[in-house]
Amino acid sequence: MENKNSLKDIFTGRSGRKIKEVITAYAFIAPATILIFIFGIFPVGFAIYVSLHKWRIKRGDFIHLRNYVNAIGNLAYVVVFFLGIGALIGMYFFVKEILKMARENDEKPWLTIIPGIVFAATTVAFFRWFYSALPEVLGIADKLRGLERTQNVFMQLLREALRSETVLPTWRTFLWLFLASLVVGGVVYRLWRNKRTMTYQSNFALAFLALGAGVGLIYYTFERVGAAYTEAFETGTDPGIWPQFISITAGVILLALAWILWSRAPKRDSKGGFLLHILAAAALLVGAWLLIAEIPTIVASGDKDLWEGLKVTVFFSLGTVPWQLAIGLFLAVLLFQKVPGSNLFRILYFIPYVTPGIASAAVFQQMFSNRQSAPVNMFLSFLGMKPQQWLFEPRGIMTILGDTLSFNVPNWAAGPSLALMVIIIHNIWTYVGYDTVIYLAGLGNISKEMTDSAEVDGANRWQVFRHIIFPLLSPTTYFLSLIAIIGTFKAFNTIWIFRSNLALGTTDTFSISIFIEFFEKLRYGYASALAFILFGIIIFLSFINNKTQGSKVFYG
Amino acid sequence: MAKKEHREKRLKFSTQRNIFTYTILIFGVILSLVPFVWMISTSLMNLGEALGTAFFPSEIHFENYTEAWRRADFTEYFVNSILITIITLVGQLTFSILAAYAFARMEFPGRDLIFSVMLSTMMIPAMVFTIPNFLTVTWLGRISPINWINNWPSLTIPFMGSVFSIFMLKQFFAQVPDELYDAAQMDGAGHFRFLIQVVLPLSKAPLMVILVLSFIGTWNSLAWPMLVTNTPDWRPISVGLMSFVTEAGQEINLTMAGAFITILPILIIYFFTQKQFTESIARSGLKG
Repeated sequence: MENKNSLKDIFTGRSGRKIKEVITAYAFIAPATILIFIFGIFPVGFAIYVSLHKWRIKRGDFIHLRNYVNAIGNLAYVVVFFLGIGALIGMYFFVKEILKMARENDEKPWLTIIPGIVFAATTVAFFRWFYSALPEVLGIADKLRGLERTQNVFMQLLREALRSETVLPTWRTFLWLFLASLVVGGVVYRLWRNKRTMTYQSNFALAFLALGAGVGLIYYTFERVGAAYTEAFETGTDPGIWPQFISITAGVILLALAWILWSRAPKRDSKGGFLLHILAAAALLVGAWLLIAEIPTIVASGDKDLWEGLKVTVFFSLGTVPWQLAIGLFLAVLLFQKVPGSNLFRILYFIPYVTPGIASAAVFQQMFSNRQSAPVNMFLSFLGMKPQQWLFEPRGIMTILGDTLSFNVPNWAAGPSLALMVIIIHNIWTYVGYDTVIYLAGLGNISKEMTDSAEVDGANRWQVFRHIIFPLLSPTTYFLSLIAIIGTFKAFNTIWIFRSNLALGTTDTFSISIFIEFFEKLRYGYASALAFILFGIIIFLSFINNKTQGSKVFYG
Repeated sequence: MAKKEHREKRLKFSTQRNIFTYTILIFGVILSLVPFVWMISTSLMNLGEALGTAFFPSEIHFENYTEAWRRADFTEYFVNSILITIITLVGQLTFSILAAYAFARMEFPGRDLIFSVMLSTMMIPAMVFTIPNFLTVTWLGRISPINWINNWPSLTIPFMGSVFSIFMLKQFFAQVPDELYDAAQMDGAGHFRFLIQVVLPLSKAPLMVILVLSFIGTWNSLAWPMLVTNTPDWRPISVGLMSFVTEAGQEINLTMAGAFITILPILIIYFFTQKQFTESIARSGLKG
C-alpha cells in the first residue's frame, strides 16, 4: 500500500521537503565555502605550522617557538602563557553559561558532561591527525617530480601519504573517537530527551576544549622555558627568563587590576570610591613601572627591525587617522548644510578613494620629488623655504624643523621621517573622501527635531555640534577609526611604491618588514611568525579601541 | 521694524556663511584634484618642460601616451588585467550569489556557525594568508595538470570566495519580502528559479557595487601578483605600471601618461556608477 522506501518519496511530504531544502542550501553554499576554507581558514592553521619551523622555501626543522623568541624576545613565552590563561577564562565563561541555563530551566545536565568530553577529545584528535598528515600531503609534490601528473598517480600518492606510519595511527584514533562521540551523543540524547541537550553537549565540549588548550599552553610555556634554561646552561649563560617572565606577568596583571578597580569604583565621591581609585592608581603605577623597566631588555633581545617597523607603523597611524577623521567630519558638516551643488562636491571628494593607489602614489612620488622644480618644492620656495629631499629623507621632521630654526632636537624626539610624512599625506588625501561620505550618511540619520529643539532653546551652532551632533555620530566615528587603524597596520601597496633605499627603512611599516622577510630574505617561517605578531597587535588594538571608545559610543 | 532688521541681518549672516562654506569646500576640491590636474598636464609636456617649473604645457604632446603605451607594453598588461578581472568576477559573483541566498533565505543546520566563522576571517590581516596561500598555490601547481604559478588560476581562484561579497549580498537578499517567495512557490518555482527570476533583478544596486569594488581590488592588487608571477605573461596592470615607473625613471611625462592610462578605466566606471556606489558604501559603513 505505502511504499516508503522509494527514493522519490523521501523528497515529498513535509519532512521530505525540509531535507530537500537542506541539501539545496548546502549545494548553494558549497563552492564559496570550500574556497573560503582553502584560502581563508586553512591558511591560518598552515601559517601556525610554518611559523613553528625553520622554513626557507623548503620546510626545515621543527623549532618550537624559536621564530617568535627571535622576534619579540622572551615576551613570546609570556604571550603563550597568557593565551593559556585566556583559554581558562574562556572555560570559566562556558561553565557559567551552562550553570545559568541549568538554573533558569531547573535542570541537572550533568549527564551531558560525558559527550562533552568525547566531543572535545575528537576535536583534539582531528587537529592531531591534520598536523601529522600535512607534511606527508605536502611531500606529494616532491614525489610527483618527473612523473606524469594524472589523477590516478596523484590519488595513489595521496593514499600512500595518508596511510604512512605517522599518519595512520592518528587517523584511527580520530575515527574511533568520532564513532564514539556519535554513539555517546546519541545515547545521551535518548536518555535525556530535552530540546537543550545539544546546547549543553556543545557547551561542555567547548569548555573542555578551552580547559585542554589552557592547561596545554601553560604546560608548554613552562616546558619551553625549562628547555631554554637547559640549553643556556650548556653554554654557561643565564637566559634570565624567569625574572622577566614574572615581572611582565605581574605588570600585566596589575594593569588589568587597575582597569577593573577603576571601572568598578563608584562615580560619586564616597569614601569607598576614593579608596578604590587610590588602589587603582597604585596598581597602575606599579604595573606600568614594571613593564617600562622590562621593555628595553625585551627590545634589546628581540628583532631590532621589528621594533623599528612598529614605531614607523605607530607614527603612520597617529599621523593619518585623527587628521583624516577630523577633515572628513568637517567637510561632511559643511556639505550637510544642503548648499547647492553639495552632491557634486561629494562626487569629487570621493575620486581619490577610487583611484588605484599605485597610480596615485606614482603621481605623489613625482610631486614630492627632490628636484628643485618639483611642484611641492616650488611651493616651498614660493613660501621662502628650503627645498626638501622628501621621499629620500630619513631624518625626522622634528629634526628638520629644529635645523631650520637652528635648534638641536634630541634623537628620541625626531618624529616620523620626512619620507614617511609624504606617505602620511598621501594616505590622508586618499581616505578623506571616504570618511566624508560615511559621516554624511551618519549625519543624515540624526533627527532634525533634536537639533532644532536645541536651537530653539538658544544653543549656538557650535554648542549644537559639540553636545548633540558629535555624540550622536559616535558610532560612525568608532567604525571609521577602527577601519582606519586596522588599515594603517595592513597598508602595503602604496608604501611599497614610495619606498626608497635612501630613506634607510624609515618608511618600512610592520607589513612591509614582513613582506621583505618573506619575499626578499625568503625566511618563510620567521615571516609567518611576524604576521601572527601583527595579527595579535591588531586584535589588541581593536580590543583597546572597543574598551575606550566603545563604552562611550552612544547609539541615540 | 525690528523684526525686518533682524531678518536682514540673518540673511546677510547666511550669505557670509555660504561664502565661507564654499571657500572651504572649493579649497578641499582643489587639494583633492590638484594631483590629477598636475598628472594630466605633465603627461602632455615634453621632457624638458616636465622636469622644469611649468604647470601647464606650452604645446600639447599627445604622443607621450602612445610612447608610454608602447614602452610599458600596456596592451599585454591591460588584456591580462581585464581577463583576470572577468574570470574572478564571474566566479566570485556566481558563488557569492548562491551562498548569500542560502545564508539569507534558507534554513539549514550550522548556518549561523558557518557564517560567523566566515565573518571572523575578515579580521585577519592579509599578511597571515599570503605566505601559506603562496605555498598552497605552488603545491597545487605542482600536483595538478595545469600550472598555477605564472598562470590565471593563482591570480583568480583564491579570490572567488569573497566573504565581503557574501556579507553584502546577504544583507540585501534578506530584505526581499517573504510574500514574493510564497507567490513564486505557488507558481511552482523553487529556490533556484526564485533567485534567478525575482531576487537578482531586484538586486542590481549591490551587484553593481560588488562589481566595481572587485574591479578596483583586482586593478589595485600588487603583493600577490608580484609573488605568483615572474614573467609578464599574466602580470596585471598594477605590476606593469610599477615596473614602468622604475624603468622610465626620470621621464616623468611618460610615467604620468602611464599613471593616467591606469586610472582612466576606473574613473570612467566610477562616474557611471557613482550614485549607487557612494550610497552603498555609506550604507555598508553604517552597518559596520
